[in-house]
Amino acid sequence: MREQPLREVTQLIHAIEMGLVEGSYSITNKTLDIFKYIIMSKSWQSAEALMQIVRAQSRILQAALPQETVTSNIARRILKMTREEFDLLQAKVQHFADDSQASLSLHKLVTQTSENCVSVDYSLPQQGLREALLDHLQEVETELETSSENISVQAEEHIHSSEIILTLGHSRSVENFLKRAIKKRQYLTIIVAECAPSCRGHNLAATLAQEKNVEIIVIPDASIFAMMSRVNKVIIGTHSVLANGGLRAACGAYTVALAAKHYSVPVIVLAPMYKLSPLHLCEQDAFNMVGCAEDVIAYDSLPARDAKVYSPIFDYVPPELVTLFISNTGGHAPSYVYRLLSELYHPEDLEI
Amino acid sequence: MPQITQSAAEFDVVKYFLQLLEDDKDMSSGIAAIKTLLMILEKKQFGTIHILHTTMREAVAAMRNTDLSIAAIVSAGELFCRFITLSLDDKHMEECRQIMLNRGKIFLTKLLNSRQVISQQAQRFISDGCRILTHSRSRVVLKALIAASQNKKSFHVFVTQGGTGNSGEEMVQELQAMGIDCTLILDSATGYVMESVDFVMVGAEAVVESGGIINRIGSYTMGLCAREMKKPFYVLSESFKFSRLYPLNQRDLPNEYKYSRKHLNDVSKVHPLVDYTPPAYITLLFTDLGILTPSAVSDELIKLYM
Repeated sequence: MREQPLREVTQLIHAIEMGLVEGSYSITNKTLDIFKYIIMSKSWQSAEALMQIVRAQSRILQAALPQETVTSNIARRILKMTREEFDLLQAKVQHFADDSQASLSLHKLVTQTSENCVSVDYSLPQQGLREALLDHLQEVETELETSSENISVQAEEHIHSSEIILTLGHSRSVENFLKRAIKKRQYLTIIVAECAPSCRGHNLAATLAQEKNVEIIVIPDASIFAMMSRVNKVIIGTHSVLANGGLRAACGAYTVALAAKHYSVPVIVLAPMYKLSPLHLCEQDAFNMVGCAEDVIAYDSLPARDAKVYSPIFDYVPPELVTLFISNTGGHAPSYVYRLLSELYHPEDLEI
Repeated sequence: MPQITQSAAEFDVVKYFLQLLEDDKDMSSGIAAIKTLLMILEKKQFGTIHILHTTMREAVAAMRNTDLSIAAIVSAGELFCRFITLSLDDKHMEECRQIMLNRGKIFLTKLLNSRQVISQQAQRFISDGCRILTHSRSRVVLKALIAASQNKKSFHVFVTQGGTGNSGEEMVQELQAMGIDCTLILDSATGYVMESVDFVMVGAEAVVESGGIINRIGSYTMGLCAREMKKPFYVLSESFKFSRLYPLNQRDLPNEYKYSRKHLNDVSKVHPLVDYTPPAYITLLFTDLGILTPSAVSDELIKLYM
């Protein structure tokens, strides 16, 4: 049986494809709204049924928008939340002595007995599950709303007066982070690589230039390496963080990271928790996306007749090139990402 | 020492252990060790936990004395002994024994399934038309490759000879029997083929606390080459091979791991059988606990032995 998308899901997909909803924060927010609507609706009676619906809708979103990993991430959060709340309520009813850490580990492999090996039956109807879920959802919403703020308050710890910072393109987290730093520190110089062909770096530069006491320099992507020798820190945003701590970031991020490595400049990546996705870089074809080539070379120009033109959107940056991730919960080393992931998602939900 | 006080029971241990391996050529020595220990638990009566513990230790020691590579036996034995201490509550001895037997059986079923789980995880990484380099023979790598081939993927495998013995040739024969394209190469050709492969996939005799691996000699060279040429280096290993060792260099590896037993008296003139590949050269480890980065391995071990 083919799953039918909800009307809200279709609308969201349409809005994202038309570019009406942009940026991972808005997409996450809108997806969360849909799941909230599902939880509030009367269409499910048991945790199992709810999880089915969430999975089905998330699969549809994923198939329609393969690049937007945040939709699946938020679905995984909802699934984990459902499991947790269900277990908690179950434990209250019958003294269900179970350590809720369901993840696989050597320790569990050794200590399990046949009793607690039995998987929990989610199909039982559970009183009060809806209320508990909505309560929990409120927490997730608050976390989402405050994530940008929580990242930018850490700016003072990382940026000091009269430093030279390099960034790439226009990430909203980076914008807030730098604004905060400009307010607190003096004589900063911020170098913005424009990130051709979309040149979103220009917007960032324009916004930051309205602040006082700061020098903004816009450079073409080709001069990233040339400028790197004098840079103190690289601060970039990312599209998503992969399971091994690598990045799927805007095209050009790899150039920046390699140049930074060459000059031993620390690379700080701002990534709110909802961007952490438990995927590995294995299917190369599905990883990247090619954008509109018109910006690279005008369609009616002479060379466009004979030349093939590509405009890839993403770069994969291996974890060795990242110094630090800053999320809304603090700073983490790339090798620590697997740990965050195991806390964030349930192992059975990795494949939706 | 077990060799001196070799009673009839201990003689049985080794015999049973070797018989298990003889009966099923595909069985890992670690699994056989756990099966043997379970057998002892089932067959014998123990007055106290202490006696049980000593018996287990003696049995492990006896199995170590066989002429097999000991890494898996040691780690599996250690895991089993740990598992006894973890089941210790204020219960009656006989009750304890029952719990242990029960748990042991579940544990064993999980372990027997682990190769299946690992090969499943590796499927997404083996893409159609890719070229894979592997070192010598590893049963779990073989299983993963066969599964991929059965999923209608076509790929080419380069297999190194793997030092002395003909393990590489065996691997090639087994792959060819399943209709997989493969080439047998010299160990010294690792650098030569590295530029043409997409990734390296090897097994392991043991995974150590740092997240590095102990594997047949030549794996380290392969790791170095892969790093230099920026190729991913994947390790496939069952979780019972996780051992509590923390070598910093090749010299730190215990001699029993590196040399066969008959050479242990004088190792100055013999060639080591295994080497240590540090975690920096490993991209990912595929285990029955999931796909782990090397740093996640130490976390697992700490959780168990804390």
